[in-house]
Amino acid sequence: MKRLARLGFVLLAALTLTAWASAQNLVIAQGTDAVTLDAHDVTDSPTASIVSHMYETLFELMPDGSIEPNLAVSYEVSDDSTVWTINLREGVTFHDGTPMTAEVVKGSMDRFLDPDNAFTFRFLLDRIDEVVVTGPLQIELRLATPFAPLLAHLTHNTTAIVLPSAVEEFGEAFGENAVGTGPFQLDDWDRGSRIDMVVNEDYWGDVPAIDGVSFLAVPENTTRMALVESGEAHVAVRVPPQDIARLNAAPDITVENVSSLRTIYMYFNHTLEPFDDVRVRQAFNYAVDKQEIAEFVLGGAVRPSDAAIAPGIFGYTDVGEYEYDPERARELLAEAGFEDGLSTTLYSPSGRYLQDIQITEAIQSQLAEVGIDATIETLEWSAYLDKTREPAGENDVPVALLGWGTVTGDADYGLYALFHTSQHVPDGSNRAFYSNPEVDDLLDEARVTPDPSVRESLYADALQIVRDDAPWLFLHSETQLVAVNDAVEGLVIHPTERVLAWNVTVSE
Amino acid sequence: MFQYTLRRILIALPAILGVIVVVFAMVRLAPGDPAVMLAGEFADQETIERIRERFGLDRSMPAQFATFVGNLAQGDLGRSTRTNRLVTEDLAQFFPNTLELALGAILVALAIGIPAGIVSAIKRNTWVDAAVTFVALLGVSMPVFWFGLLAILFFSVELGWFPVAGRGSFAHLVLPAITLGVSSTAIIARMTRSSMLEVLDQDYVRTARAKGVQARSLIAKHALRNALVPVVTIGGLEFGRLLAGAVLTETVFTWPGVGRLLVDSILARDYPVVQGAVLVIAISFILVNLLVDLVYGVIDPRIRYD
Repeated sequence: MKRLARLGFVLLAALTLTAWASAQNLVIAQGTDAVTLDAHDVTDSPTASIVSHMYETLFELMPDGSIEPNLAVSYEVSDDSTVWTINLREGVTFHDGTPMTAEVVKGSMDRFLDPDNAFTFRFLLDRIDEVVVTGPLQIELRLATPFAPLLAHLTHNTTAIVLPSAVEEFGEAFGENAVGTGPFQLDDWDRGSRIDMVVNEDYWGDVPAIDGVSFLAVPENTTRMALVESGEAHVAVRVPPQDIARLNAAPDITVENVSSLRTIYMYFNHTLEPFDDVRVRQAFNYAVDKQEIAEFVLGGAVRPSDAAIAPGIFGYTDVGEYEYDPERARELLAEAGFEDGLSTTLYSPSGRYLQDIQITEAIQSQLAEVGIDATIETLEWSAYLDKTREPAGENDVPVALLGWGTVTGDADYGLYALFHTSQHVPDGSNRAFYSNPEVDDLLDEARVTPDPSVRESLYADALQIVRDDAPWLFLHSETQLVAVNDAVEGLVIHPTERVLAWNVTVSE
Repeated sequence: MFQYTLRRILIALPAILGVIVVVFAMVRLAPGDPAVMLAGEFADQETIERIRERFGLDRSMPAQFATFVGNLAQGDLGRSTRTNRLVTEDLAQFFPNTLELALGAILVALAIGIPAGIVSAIKRNTWVDAAVTFVALLGVSMPVFWFGLLAILFFSVELGWFPVAGRGSFAHLVLPAITLGVSSTAIIARMTRSSMLEVLDQDYVRTARAKGVQARSLIAKHALRNALVPVVTIGGLEFGRLLAGAVLTETVFTWPGVGRLLVDSILARDYPVVQGAVLVIAISFILVNLLVDLVYGVIDPRIRYD
C-alpha cells in the first residue's frame, strides 16, 4: 500500500513539472552516478561533487584560489617546518550527533594514511609521519621533512574527516552510508539513477536555504540537456560545445563558463627519436594553432595554455604561449634534419576529455601543413593508461594526448608528478620521460620552502624552463560548461570540477 | 513434463559453466588493468601495487579462478572493485529494473505486433498490408538511440507529457518501453504475418470456411492458435535479447539497469561485477528459452515432451 501511494505520488510529481522547484529541492544532472560515498575513496569529480555536500575538509580551497579554515580554525607551523599544529572548530557534530573531537580527526587521518586501505590519494598526506592529539580540539601533524604544499593538500576532498566509529559500525558498507559533518545529509540513493540529500538542520555554519539537493546520473548528453530544458533539473554539467548557443537562447537557461584546473596537452616521449631533439618539439608547438582549435573545435570554451598549469593555481605564471608560426616550425624541422618532413603517431583517447579525438584530428591536419605526417591511434581508456605508462625501453608511444587536473590548487601537484626526473612512469606520472636537473632542483626546493612568495618565484622559473624545453605540445586549460536555470542563485562551479549547492537559493 | 523440465535444466548447466569460464578469462585477457583504472592518471607505482593487493589481483589466474568458483558455490560473487559493494546486492538492485523495462517492451511489441501482423495477413496485398510492412521496416532499421532521443525531445521537452529520464512511476516507463520495443514490434509483426498466411492457406482452414465458420471466429479460434507457435519462439528470443541488450535504451533514458551496469563495469575492468552480470544474463536467457518450450505445449497440445 505504501508503495502504491508512493507510486501515485511520483506519478503526480512527474506530471506536474514544477514539482521539483516548489519543493525547493535543487536538482543537478551529472554524467555519472557516485561511485562510493566513502569520502576517502573518491577518485572522480562527479562523486567528489556529491560527497562534498556531506563531508568536509579541515581547510577549504576557495574558488579564487585562496585557502580558508573549515573544520579547522587556525594552524601554526614550527620553525623547522616539520610540526603543524591545527586547532579544530568547536561545536561541530556529525549527522548522527557525535561531536567532532581531536580524537575523531586523528582517527580519520590514520584511516586515510593506513597503507592497507590503499586509498588512491593517500600520497597527498603521506609526508605525515604521525598525527598526535595535543588537546580536546587540537592535533599535531608531525613530518619527517618540511612539505610546503601540505595545507593545499588538506583542502582536497578525499582528505575529508570521516567518523571512525561509523567506519567500524558499517564495515564494508561504509561507502553507502555517509555520516559526515556537511550541510547536507544522505536521504536516499537509487543506484545508477539518483541520489537525494536533505539539509542538515544542525549544521555548524549557515544552514542552506534549500530543503535538499538531488544529483541525477545521466550519461547521455542530449538527455541531460533535455532535463534542464524541460525544467526537470535546475543544473546540467558538461554542456556539449555545440549546444551552448541553443541553450542560451532558451528564456530561462544560462550556460556558465568557469575555468577548470585541468590542463590538456600532448606529451613527447623523450626516449624516442626524434623527440629527444628540442627543435622538433618546439616545431610541433609552432605548427599547431591553439587559438583555432579553441575556437572551432571547442566553441571558444577553453583557454589556450601560456604555461604548463592553469591560472588559479598557486604558482602559476604566464610564461608565454607558443604563437602559431608554421614558417618557424618548418625552419626548426629543417635545422633538426627533417627538411623533408617526418612521420609519427599521435595517441588519443576518445570521449575522455572534451572533444579529445576531434582535437587530435585538428592537430593532425595542422601538422600536415608543415610536413609532419601523423597517424592517429585511439585506444579504449583503460588500455590507453596501461600503454602510456610502460617503462622506458618498452614504451613505444611517441606522442599522446592527456589531461591533468591540479586538484589541490598548488603547483607542486601539477608539476612534480609530471616533470620531476624521479617521477618517470611507471613510478610516477612523467610519461614524457622528461628530465632536467635544473627543474628538479627548483621543484625540490619549492616543496620544502615555507615562504609563499619564494615558492612562487621558484615555480615561475621552473615553468619558464619547461616552456622552453617543450616536453609537451601545450594545448589549453579546460573550462566547465554548466547549464543553469535562471531561478538558481549562489551555485558554485568550483575550479576543482565540483558543483556545490551549499549557498543556493531557488526563486519560485 | 517434470522430467523434461529437469532434463532441460541439467543440460543448461554445462552452458552456464562455459559462460563462467569464458567470461572469467575474457575480462582478464582484455588489455587494461583494474588497479590502473582505479588509480587513474594520478597514480604512482606504489599505489597501484597496493590496490592490486587489496583486490587480490596480484595472485595468479588459476588461484583467482579457484577462489571465484569456490565463492560462487556459496552464492558469493565477491565485491565490486570499483564501488566495494557486494555484486549480489548490485544485481538484486539492477536486474529487476531491467526486467521491468524488458517486460514493458515485450508487452508493447506483442500488443502492437500481433494485431498488426494479423491485419496485414488478412488484408494481404492491400494498402494496409503495404503500410504495415513499411512501418515495420522503419521500426527494424531505426537506431534505438536516435528514436529514443527524438521521443524525449518531442514528448518530454516539447509536449511535456512524460518525464525526460529516470525510473520510478509508470510515466517513466512509457517512452523507454516503446523505444526498446520498437524493433521487436516490427519483427513480431512480420513473423505473425507470414505465419498467418501459411496457416490461412491450409486445408483445415479452407474446410472451416466451407463449413460456414464466421470470419472472426475463423481467425481467432482456428488460424491464430496455430500461427502463434513461431511467434512465441521469436517473442521468447526477443525477450531474451531485450534482457541482455537494453544498454542503449538504458543509457538514453538513464534507466538503472543491468546493461548499463555491465558496460560501466567493463570500462572500469570491474571483474567481479562483469562476471556476475554476464552470469545473470546467461541464466535468464536460458530460463526464457525453457519457458518458451513449455509454452509450446500449452498452445499446441500436439507437441509432447515425453
